[in-house]
Amino acid sequence: MVTTYRPPDFQSALTIMRENRAIPLAGGTDLMVSRRRWSGLSPFFAKPVLFIGHLEEIKRVEPDITNIKIGSACSLTSLLEHREIPEVLKIVISQMATPAIRNIGTLGGNICNASPAGDALPVLYALDASVVLQRKAEIRTLPIEKFITGPGETVLKDDELLTSIIIPKKSYNVGFYRKVGTRQANSLSKLSFQGLARIEEGKISDIRISFGAVALTVIRSREIEELLIEKSGKEIEKLISEVNRLYSAVIKPIDDQRSNIRYRKTISLKLLRYFLRTVLISKIG
Amino acid sequence: MKINFILNGKNVWVETDPLRRLLDVLREDFGLTGVKEGCGEGECGACTVLIYGKIAFSCIIPVGAADHAEIRTIEGYRKTERYKALQDAFAEAGGVQCGFCTPGFVLAAESLLREDARPDEAAIREAISGNLCRCTGYNMIVEGIKIASLKGKGLW
Amino acid sequence: MKGKIGKSIKKIDVAEKTGGYARYIADMRFEGMLHAKTLRSSKPRAKIKGIDIPEIPQSYYIVDRNDVPGKNRVKMIVNDQPFFAEDVVNYIGEPILLVVGPDKEKIIKILSEIKVYYEAVKPVFTIEEAEKLNTRPIYGEDNCFADYEIEKGDPDEAFGRAAKIVENEYRTGYQEHIYLEPQGMIGIYESNRVTVYGSMQCPYFVKNALIQGLGWGGDRIRVVQTTTGGAFGGKEEYPSLIAGHVAFASVKAGKPVRLIFDRKEDIQATTKRHPSIIRLKTALDDHKKIIATDVNIKMDGGAYSGLSNVVLQRAMFAATGVYNIPNVRVRGRAFATNNVPSGALRGFGGPQAFFAIEMNMHALADHMSEDPLDFKIKHMLKKGDHTVTGGVLRQDVKLAEMTDMVLGMSDYRKKYDEFSKTDDRVLRGIGLSLFYHGCAFTGSGEKDIIKAEVKLKKREDGKVLILIANVEMGQGDQTTLGKIVARTLCIPVDDVIYENPDTDVVPDSGPTVASRTVMIVGFLLDKAAQELKAEWEKAPEVEVHKVYEQPGYIRWDQETFEGDAYPVYSWGTNVVEVEVDPVTCEIKVKGIWGVYDVGTAIDERIIQGQIEGGISQGLGYATIEVMNSKDGKILQDSITDYIIPCSMDFPGIESKLIDSYYEYGPYGAKCAGELPFIGAAPALASAVQKALNVQIKRIPVTPEYLMETAEGEN
Repeated sequence: MVTTYRPPDFQSALTIMRENRAIPLAGGTDLMVSRRRWSGLSPFFAKPVLFIGHLEEIKRVEPDITNIKIGSACSLTSLLEHREIPEVLKIVISQMATPAIRNIGTLGGNICNASPAGDALPVLYALDASVVLQRKAEIRTLPIEKFITGPGETVLKDDELLTSIIIPKKSYNVGFYRKVGTRQANSLSKLSFQGLARIEEGKISDIRISFGAVALTVIRSREIEELLIEKSGKEIEKLISEVNRLYSAVIKPIDDQRSNIRYRKTISLKLLRYFLRTVLISKIG
Repeated sequence: MKINFILNGKNVWVETDPLRRLLDVLREDFGLTGVKEGCGEGECGACTVLIYGKIAFSCIIPVGAADHAEIRTIEGYRKTERYKALQDAFAEAGGVQCGFCTPGFVLAAESLLREDARPDEAAIREAISGNLCRCTGYNMIVEGIKIASLKGKGLW
Repeated sequence: MKGKIGKSIKKIDVAEKTGGYARYIADMRFEGMLHAKTLRSSKPRAKIKGIDIPEIPQSYYIVDRNDVPGKNRVKMIVNDQPFFAEDVVNYIGEPILLVVGPDKEKIIKILSEIKVYYEAVKPVFTIEEAEKLNTRPIYGEDNCFADYEIEKGDPDEAFGRAAKIVENEYRTGYQEHIYLEPQGMIGIYESNRVTVYGSMQCPYFVKNALIQGLGWGGDRIRVVQTTTGGAFGGKEEYPSLIAGHVAFASVKAGKPVRLIFDRKEDIQATTKRHPSIIRLKTALDDHKKIIATDVNIKMDGGAYSGLSNVVLQRAMFAATGVYNIPNVRVRGRAFATNNVPSGALRGFGGPQAFFAIEMNMHALADHMSEDPLDFKIKHMLKKGDHTVTGGVLRQDVKLAEMTDMVLGMSDYRKKYDEFSKTDDRVLRGIGLSLFYHGCAFTGSGEKDIIKAEVKLKKREDGKVLILIANVEMGQGDQTTLGKIVARTLCIPVDDVIYENPDTDVVPDSGPTVASRTVMIVGFLLDKAAQELKAEWEKAPEVEVHKVYEQPGYIRWDQETFEGDAYPVYSWGTNVVEVEVDPVTCEIKVKGIWGVYDVGTAIDERIIQGQIEGGISQGLGYATIEVMNSKDGKILQDSITDYIIPCSMDFPGIESKLIDSYYEYGPYGAKCAGELPFIGAAPALASAVQKALNVQIKRIPVTPEYLMETAEGEN
């Protein structure tokens, strides 16, 4: 039986992490499945486990003027029910898993699991989210794209906890999210597309585009987005082909039990073009 | 580790590996076999329990994470008026075939109706989207939940 | 008793199931019970050169081929499947041995220390490879479990004078049952007898398998069905294998042994629907009428023969669907491959055949610029017509009426025309399917093989016991059979008791398969009840025993497959409306309608439950239930990856029953359990075909397949 800790408070949790390099478990909805063994047996952990899902310090939602700080152990359902959580994030969360999973699962867990198909990731990348990582006597903040380095890989140190997610407060007047899953609900993502933009006076002042489940990590390219800034509807129309080509070069999906390379790539680009042409341009007017 | 929680209205505790699945603790330590194992992956809902009145899948919850929680299984629900309304409604609608998924759906319905006493069809389908049924095709279960919400005046 | 029998009553088992009182096999505990886990082959085809077994602690046991006291073959049509592998393994997941003991941690530790030495043998993975056979056959000489041919009329002559010949090929994939309750058995050896409790459809199949495996007399073997959480054919033959396992284990250990599958194990190791490749060659005359069809059916039977022979037969008998084709040749083969054995699943060969014939009719119509519906109607069977086996449709065939009804309900014609106007933003389609299900066992199977027996016993307290081997598995048997007996005896339904069958107590009324329970066993119970009614006062306790008698009109030759393949047919029509997303090619079902002829509905709500559940499974089969096998390994081997419909996938269903009466069914009832499954997939595929203007040649119709097909046609 592996050692488990249920710390009374956040500081104790950090101490335990420093002394034991434990595996943090918040909701457990990923870990309890990925490590499951025969029915009736506890899941397999090679290292000690630290329960953190009950720690109030990491379950708060703290908005201020410029950002919103989301505790990593907030349940997904609590985020759906919270006034301050941006609508674009709620749209994504509401399509994650199922009600029962959302009641227990956390954003922190989804991020640390770092699946290429992680549902919350594309919107967090698009929102320029950063993650706050804490160990005893040290806090650091990293942009999410620096935190996740590959499938299932993050730079989380073995004595660190991901304590909150910071999302800059920005307003967008164009949002488009499409998750293509294996069924209408309760499904893993074959691919997903997130588009966000702000249109001012007939031109794009801000645009974010990200793709999920079609590469080792989420695809977001500020260079390609730059090409669309300050462009009018007509100019964007002319750029669609080029933008399509540029994203095509970095979209590198795989064949797996859910879908195949061609479908994932083709549909990702179709969704991109749909976003640019139908959503964006029509909004510009 | 000693883990305390409220189970079906009673204070209980277990001294056990906190990583044991709540499902196994309920079935083996407390004999609550109304909580079923259909998949062990959190995908089918046969293991549904209510935690603080909200739907949760016990096969993916380590019992240690349920410390001090308020947990209810079908055994702790089936003597209530609300249960009676749901059972009658499910019977009227034809929503029970092999029965393996049924307690899970009853608790899913309770989780919904306590938040939204008169849900529309879309809300019902969404609320039960994590519970799988292979026998009924769902429509008769949806109908059952509708009937319960309409007939269960004042219950929710 | 007054009023229609079909008027629904509260299902007898609702309270116990809804409240979580019902005890399924995993809920049962016995004193001293041990757990068992199966060691399975990790190779698709190999010789077992040796097995290293670590030192086994006291109270733990290895149970393998050496612990089979009788014949190490699971009793089936052909005895090719061993309980435990001997010198060879033929599929990934094949059971090699059990590790049995009191503590699960120790069991998996022992399992992890067992080493099996394999010598790979060149495997066969696809129907094409099985046919070509570049390696040793897995079965027989030609690697075919079954190879049949039937002929009606003179197809060669008709093809000779054809104005047009069109050929099409269709493919259907695997399907997994995903009964919510995984497989499970408990075996108990006590007082020189073995008792096996478990989730099953056929207690006597299991008992007979144990008689053969243990080599004991039937008096020493008892089989008790436990409340079964769904089956759909997946608990028809498979339980015989694992019943043997727990029986041998309990004899060896001298203690009860419990074997409950985890879901993933269940998906990986148990039987699946036969994948098929069906090629239809059709000859048409100058008037665009079909004069001949040549059908070539190939099925993937997996590693052992199981029920492949019968699945294949049913597919062959359904090969020309509901159409009157004067000249037909059907050749069918079920091939052996090193994949998981295929087996029974709702429809049992029918779904594969009906997908092919319905899509073929649609394709032929498209080819000749005819309206698919009119083309189908032109060829529809009528009462008095001959079936593909030369049998006669003696009872009413209400297809025309049913088609009119479903067209009206769905507004098919109007929508069909409307959807024909192209609109790139929304791709809409509507499709219709016509189908049947042959009720109960083929030909003279009931008379020659099953010989069903039922007993009805009046107790001193006035309650009546139904003593049959058929099981309640969600389909409502407990209630429908109870209603039949109660009505005939004029007693309240609550006075009729029908418990989970125990072979010590009940006679062999045959398996709960082939949609036969109400029609065949219910009819026998009705007759028994009539007799019991007459004898009611004779004594405080009265027992009536009845044995199946084949209706006189049935003519069947099992050697040549000629005559009445089934005593009667149930019929169906489906319309499905879809919208296809032009960007993602995802299919959204917008409407589902069905009209069915199942004879008398013994309970309308229960029939509705079968319709809705069957359609849901059929639509899943057509769209999201993707299961591929690569190099003998199933790629979608968990419930996360093998996707069945959830509550948000399909909309409500509008269904109606048409009045009909079968004189050899209880109160006129025919069969209903499998029929509703069959029409859903072809109706959906037709609708998608219409929406996209592409030929749909395979199911599941995935967005990936649609994208390729749409691109291909461009």
